[in-house]
Order: sequence, then structure tokens, then C-alpha cells
Amino acid sequence: MIRKTIFAALALSLSATVVAAPDSYQDAFELNRAMYGKGHTFVWQGKEYSTDHPEEIEAAVEANAANAAALIASAKAKNAEVAKLNFEWKLTRDIIKKAEAAAAKGEFRKALNLAAQAKYHARMGIEQYHYAQANWHLSVPE
Amino acid sequence: MKIKTGLMLGAALLTAGIVQAADSGFDLETVNPEADRKALQAYFKERFPKAEIEDYVNGIYAVDAPSREQWEALEEFPPYEFDIEEGERLFNTPFANGKGYADCFENGGIGIRHNYPYWNKEQGTVKTLEMEINECRENNGEKPLRWSKGDISRISAYMAWTSRDMPINIQVPKDDPRALAAYLDGKKFYYTKRGQLNLSCANCHLQGSNIRVRADIPGPMLGQTTHWPVFRSKWGEMGTLHRRYKGCHRDSRSRPDQPQSETFRNLEYFQSYMNNGLVSNGPGSRK
Repeated sequence: MIRKTIFAALALSLSATVVAAPDSYQDAFELNRAMYGKGHTFVWQGKEYSTDHPEEIEAAVEANAANAAALIASAKAKNAEVAKLNFEWKLTRDIIKKAEAAAAKGEFRKALNLAAQAKYHARMGIEQYHYAQANWHLSVPE
Repeated sequence: MKIKTGLMLGAALLTAGIVQAADSGFDLETVNPEADRKALQAYFKERFPKAEIEDYVNGIYAVDAPSREQWEALEEFPPYEFDIEEGERLFNTPFANGKGYADCFENGGIGIRHNYPYWNKEQGTVKTLEMEINECRENNGEKPLRWSKGDISRISAYMAWTSRDMPINIQVPKDDPRALAAYLDGKKFYYTKRGQLNLSCANCHLQGSNIRVRADIPGPMLGQTTHWPVFRSKWGEMGTLHRRYKGCHRDSRSRPDQPQSETFRNLEYFQSYMNNGLVSNGPGSRK
């Protein structure tokens, strides 16, 4: 009887794990990113993926002046896009300034990483805007 | 007879139910300010059953007894008293051309705060009291005042003082759909999550009201604009509602809008409509 109960509990916990498994790539990415940070890989539906954000992948280039300038310009453009939607985040402009200062001092790796962070902020702000358009009403009392 | 009475009662309850559950609306075709206002009051009645609706003009002090005790002690010698006096002096000091603020406003600017903000059909925009104070100055050849603090908040405080206990009466005119669009824009802003912290105004002041956020307790959304401008202990001085808007917006880690931007004026329009029927009790003092 005890053994049966243990098996039943085990079976239930296993099926719970299956139910809780992410059912979209986005969920799987966010789960793994939150658990392991950047620079890791995870498998979702039989395929291997990286936990790096697209901007971090963009920044993984040779650290030189041209690449740093290109990523900074790209981050600025993305931030202008989110500002137009009135969803700009507070720290982004400052991060871009820091990236420019690092590039000016010849610290190109630092500049690339900061520009990637700024571009990520901007992209998230744009995603937030689109989410808000569809969902803002959900907390309105009825 | 019993069946007929029961049916009539049922029909009456059904009608009441329909009225109560009227969709507050999320687009220009359906948005219904009155349904929003009633739904908000119903929300807080359920959330804090012991608090009287009229008491929400006192913000967090309507629902948190220990904070109220401290606030009542503070109000024995209100920190905004000198600002009202200075505001009155400024209000009555003539401009270089001999005219004054009283010449710019209805009823000489006395007892009008509770009608602000309002929809100006000719200009197609929401007008706030502070906006008209500065317009008055500019129309009379004076330089505009800074929006957030200082003299503008003192003049506004004096004008609010003359409107104390008058019921807030914000209109969304039905003959101009742009007014409803401005109201909807303010409503949408209030409920929209934004910034790196992904927070909406409602997250703190609706769902989060009277729930500790780090060391603070956010006040309820109902009654939020009735007592402005405010002497805030954190500031150590008087400030306008839009100063607080900017701070709140920044606190969500958004790049904040500027005081008197169209976004903030529409937000004030929506929030003030929610307070219709409550009394104007500015200026106030807050933590």
C-alpha cells in the first residue's frame, strides 16, 4: 500500500513536470535565461538554442572602433524608435553615453557590451508597447 | 401575486445589475466615464469595506489608521499654511501692466479649482489650472513660472484653498468626441505597464494600494487628485500634481514625460473625473 502511494506520488510529480514544461520558444528561452544567464545552451523541442539575447550575439564581434560605432548607432536608432512610441526606458540614453565614452577611450569590448544592453532595453520597450496595446484594459475594474 | 412581485423584483434587480455592470469601455465607441467612476468606487468599497467613499480625498489616510494618526498630528500645524499665504499675496500682486490673475479667471479665480482640468473645445485640448496661471502671465507680458514647484504651486495652493469642500465637477462634453478621446488616453495611460520595472499607475494605486512597496504604502487611486498641490515631506516643500506624475513615471524606470505635456494633462483629466462628487480639499500634506 505504501509502495503504491509512493509510485502514485512520483507519477503525479513527473506529470506535473511535463505540464510545467515551456510550450513556446519564448517561454523556454526566458526560463533558461533566468536560470543560467547568458552564454549557455538549452534544448527545446529537440533543437539546441543559446541563452544569449540577439543584441549580445551582435556584440560578440571583434572589439574594434568600427564595430563599436556600428552597434552604438544601431542602439541609438532602436531607442529613437521606442521614444517615438513614448515607451523609452529611463537608463537607456545614459547607457549609450557610457558606451560612447568607452569607445572614445578605446575600450571597445566595454562599448560593445554597453551598446548591446542599450539596444536590448529599447527592444524590450517596443515589445512592452505592443503588449500594452493589446492588454492594458485587463486591470480596469468592471 | 407572489409570483408577479417576485418577477418584478427580479426584473428590477436585473436592471440594477445591468446598470452596475455597464462596460466601462476600452475604445472610443464604448468608453463610458460614468461606468468607470462607479466601477472604481465599487472596487474600493469591496476592497476596504470600512472606509467611507467621501474619505478617499485623504488618500492613504482613509485606509491606513497608523498613517492617519501621524498625518492628523501633522495637520495640526499644516506645513502648507505659509505657502497659502504667500500664494494669496502673489495672486493679488498686480502684473506690470496693472492687471492680475483675477482678471484671467472666471469669478476672479476664487472657488474654481474643483472645475479643473476641463476640456477646451476651441483649443481642442485639456486645460489645467497651472497651465492657465502661466497663460495668464504670458498674456499680460509676464514670464511663465516653472511648472513643478515654487510660485506656481503657491498660487495654485491659494486657489485650491478657496475651493475647499466644493464637489469636484469634471465634464467630458458629449458634443466633442476629442474630449472623450483625451479621457480615454488618460485612462489608457493609467492602466498601461511601462518602464523597466513594467509597472502601471494602477499596479501601485489600484491593486497595490495599502500594500507595502519597500518602506512605503501607495495610496488608493480614488481621490488621488483632490488635494493638489501638496506639501510633501519628502520634498520639504510644495509641488504640483505634474511634479508627482513625473516622479512616479520615473519611478517605473521610464524616461518621464514633462509637466503639462498632453499625456499628463489627459491623465489628470481622467483621474479628476474619477473623483467627481468628492470634494476638493487642496492643498494637502503628504509623506
